[in-house]
Order: sequence, then structure tokens, then C-alpha cells
Amino acid sequence: MNLMADILLNVIIAFLVGSVLFGLQRKIMARIQMRPGPPIIQHLLHTFKFFIKESAFPKTAAMPFYIAITAMLCAIWVAAVIVGPVTEGSLLLFFAIYALHKIVEHNAGSSSGSPYGKMSCVRAVFSAAAELPLFAVLIIIYLKTGTMNIGNIVTYQGHYGPLIWGIPLAAMMFFVLILSKAPYSPFAITKGKDIISGYETEHFGLLRGYLMISESIAWYMLLWVFLTVFIGGLSPIGYLIGMVLISALVALINATTPILNPNHSIMVQVSLAFIGVLGSIILLTVY
Amino acid sequence: MDLTTLGGQFIGIIPLGDIVLYFTTFNLFMFAAVLVFTVLIAISRTESQVEAQFGTLKDREKKVGKAEFKIRRFLAIVCGLATAGAMITGDVFDFTLFVALIGIVNIGIVAAVKEIDVLDSAFQYGIIAMIASLPLFGGAAFILASTGTLSLLEIVNIPTTTLMLFGSILLFLGVAGETGVAPFFATKAEMFRTPGSPFLLIIHLSSLMVIVRIIEILLIINKPF
Repeated sequence: MNLMADILLNVIIAFLVGSVLFGLQRKIMARIQMRPGPPIIQHLLHTFKFFIKESAFPKTAAMPFYIAITAMLCAIWVAAVIVGPVTEGSLLLFFAIYALHKIVEHNAGSSSGSPYGKMSCVRAVFSAAAELPLFAVLIIIYLKTGTMNIGNIVTYQGHYGPLIWGIPLAAMMFFVLILSKAPYSPFAITKGKDIISGYETEHFGLLRGYLMISESIAWYMLLWVFLTVFIGGLSPIGYLIGMVLISALVALINATTPILNPNHSIMVQVSLAFIGVLGSIILLTVY
Repeated sequence: MDLTTLGGQFIGIIPLGDIVLYFTTFNLFMFAAVLVFTVLIAISRTESQVEAQFGTLKDREKKVGKAEFKIRRFLAIVCGLATAGAMITGDVFDFTLFVALIGIVNIGIVAAVKEIDVLDSAFQYGIIAMIASLPLFGGAAFILASTGTLSLLEIVNIPTTTLMLFGSILLFLGVAGETGVAPFFATKAEMFRTPGSPFLLIIHLSSLMVIVRIIEILLIINKPF
């Protein structure tokens, strides 16, 4: 297939599937909490809605930074789709994209001048510091497989079986990373309801639409990388089932746990990362 | 092992005498991303930070003054260029120099702010960054002593020894301190309370990008296979 067509197709799939998975997550959370909940396509409809709404910009915002940062967020997740499903490139590159996402999240909040955005920005710095140890999962995968190339990792699993059985604690660490990106999760301190919508509070219309598209693609990509790296190359149906199952599990956790205090959130993430790294090194040494 | 195992397709090198810059897909992406952000910082205005006041319903606006804006923008651009350099350098010593420069300008970016909490935070971070410079350069020295070279393009072909591993641990500790990530993040996060979003971006960007790059460098030095 033509490369451009391949990229476009994958980006559209990532956006649509990611949006519906978000909707599914909210629906499951609502049913667990004995509420009817919104329709599953609610997130998708909201995204489209923001593109036809009037855009307004706060007079306190840092221009053109405030506008450019949302477009950057979209661009980096499109880049993630190219690195992932399209070219099956380096896992290291995917994590570089994730690091950029943290920076954009941080500055989308602070560039508006809103105190809620600013608080979200400070929390994003805290949460980035906590999520960085989780990057150690990269090194564990490399030590186990001898490569950072996603395609080669899939080939490795074809010979030796899914990595989730070989390095289960690394899979747990990556799952924590996924969980921290889910709305309403115990680690979602940057978008806690105590700070309204966090870094998205002052983004309206088109800019909010960009943010929502990015979130959907980001969710799809995190699930895609988890399934590809820890379970192996799946068929499209296999990916879909895997993504639905992980989203349902995340919804269950989110529905039954409160958002943690920022300090507690970081301590839990760092502790899990520490256990994961140490445990994985012991497992790699023993087996 | 070769560089493509970690960073994807090898694109090329830029030899500048002893200093060799190299590009894989990974390095090129990081370099380009940092440059785009640096340009964005150079052309952006700062936001007015709105804060609630105690005892009244009025808000207080905190702005960045013109003189302060100029010096902070200059330092932010220097930080961006140093970060971009750290992404593509093929020399461990150059990398440590870039990281040390990032540490210095990070303090400079917030040192112009007249807020006690922010200055306290910058002061504490400065102390950690200064202490971290010893393991940072010490690590590079150990790697030089054990391999006879600081070029990553050469080190990638040299089998790992215990001294190289020790040097890498020192290097990692140095980078962790200079960039102010966990477990040193508590001091650095307070620096972000000041207005000047574009300048704060580069502080955060430099830390995260350098951490991602050091993973590549550590895996080049310590070859598990």
C-alpha cells in the first residue's frame, strides 16, 4: 500500500477506535457505579462537536505558543502511529514521543494563564518524574530480547512465546503507565476534578478538538504497543479484543478507586516501578 | 551490536574534527523536535498568570517584565540548542558538557524571577546540579580510562568491562542530578510555579529528552549481548 495512504488509514483507525474505547470505558464505569452512563460513541461525538464550535482564546494566553502546542500534541501522536503500526520502528523512539507528550501536556496547562491549568502543569512535572522510572521497562525488554525494534520483538515472541510470561513485572509497569493516561484513573492527577479539567480547562472549540483527537490516538497507541510488545503480533480482531479487555479492566479499576493525592500517586507509581525493575532483573538473572 | 539496534535506521554522520555528530531515526526525531520547540519559544509571548487574592474577590495578574523576558528568552534558546546538541552528539564528553550547560541555564531561566519560593527551589536545584557534576564528568572519565575513547561510534564495538559499568552508573547519577528527575524532582517542580510558560517548557523538555538519550548511551556502553 502507498505509504501516505497507509499512514492516513492507520491514523483514522487509531482515532476512531481510541474514541470508542474511551466511550466504552465511561459506559462500563457508569454501569459499575449503577448509573446508565453516556452512549459509547459520546467521546467521538464530543470530538466532532468541538470542531464546529466557536473557538475562543483567553486574553492572558501566551500566543502563538498556546495554539501551537495543541497542534504539536496532534502531530506527535500521528508520529507515534508512523513509528508503531505503519513502520514497526524503534521502541526507544516511541518512548521519546511519550516524553514529548508529557511536555506538551505540561505546557498546554501553563500557557493559558489559568490557575487550574497552572496547577495541572505543576502536577504534570511531578507525574513525569514518577513515570520516568517506568521507562526502565524499555531496558528490561531490551535485555530480554536484544532489540528495540518492534518488528524484531514480534519475531522474538514468535520463537519464544509472549513476553508477558517472560517479564510479567515489566508488563505490570507498562500497564501502570497506561492506567496513568486513562481519564478518572487513580493516577490521573493532571486532570483531577479538583482542578476542573486540568490542562484542558481553557481550551475551547478547535483547540479542544485537537486535544481530544490526540487523546484518542494516544490511548489506542499505548494499548497497541502493550499488546504488540508483550503478547506479539495479533490479527486486527485480536488487537480489538485485547484493547477492549484492557479498557474494561482499566474502567473497573477507575470505577472502584478514587483519584489519589498527587504525592501518593507518585509514591505508588515510583514504588511499583522499583518493584518492577528489581523483580524483573531477578527474574532475568534466575531464568 | 550496532547503533541501529537501538535507534532504528542509521542516517549518517557529521564529522567536525574530533567531534562526530550522528543521526539515527531516533536521534534525528529528537533533534528536530527540540529545534521546533526552541523556535516556538523564540517567537512566543508569555502568558499573564491569573491568581485569586485572599480577602477580596479581585484577581491578581502576574506578568513577565520586558527586561526579565529578554534574558529568560535568551537562556531558554541556549538551553534548547544545548538539548538539541545532546541529542545528536556521538561523544560522551560533549554529552556531559551539554548536560552541564543545560543544568546551568535551567537555573538561570528561573533566577531572574523575583519570587522567594521559586528562587529557593532554584537554589536547591542548583546545589544538586553542582554536586551531580562530579559523578557526571567522573563517569565520562572512567569510560575514557577503560576504553581509550569517548566516541560512541567506537565504544559500541568495545566489549563491556566492570569499569565501564561503574562509569555508566556514575554517568547516570550525574544526569539524574543535573536534570532534576526522580528522586530529585521535589526541588525542581516548585520552579514551575512562575509565569513564563514557553521558558518553563524548555526546562521540562531538556530534562526528559536528556533522560531518553541517556538510556540510549547507557545501552551503547553496556552491551548485554
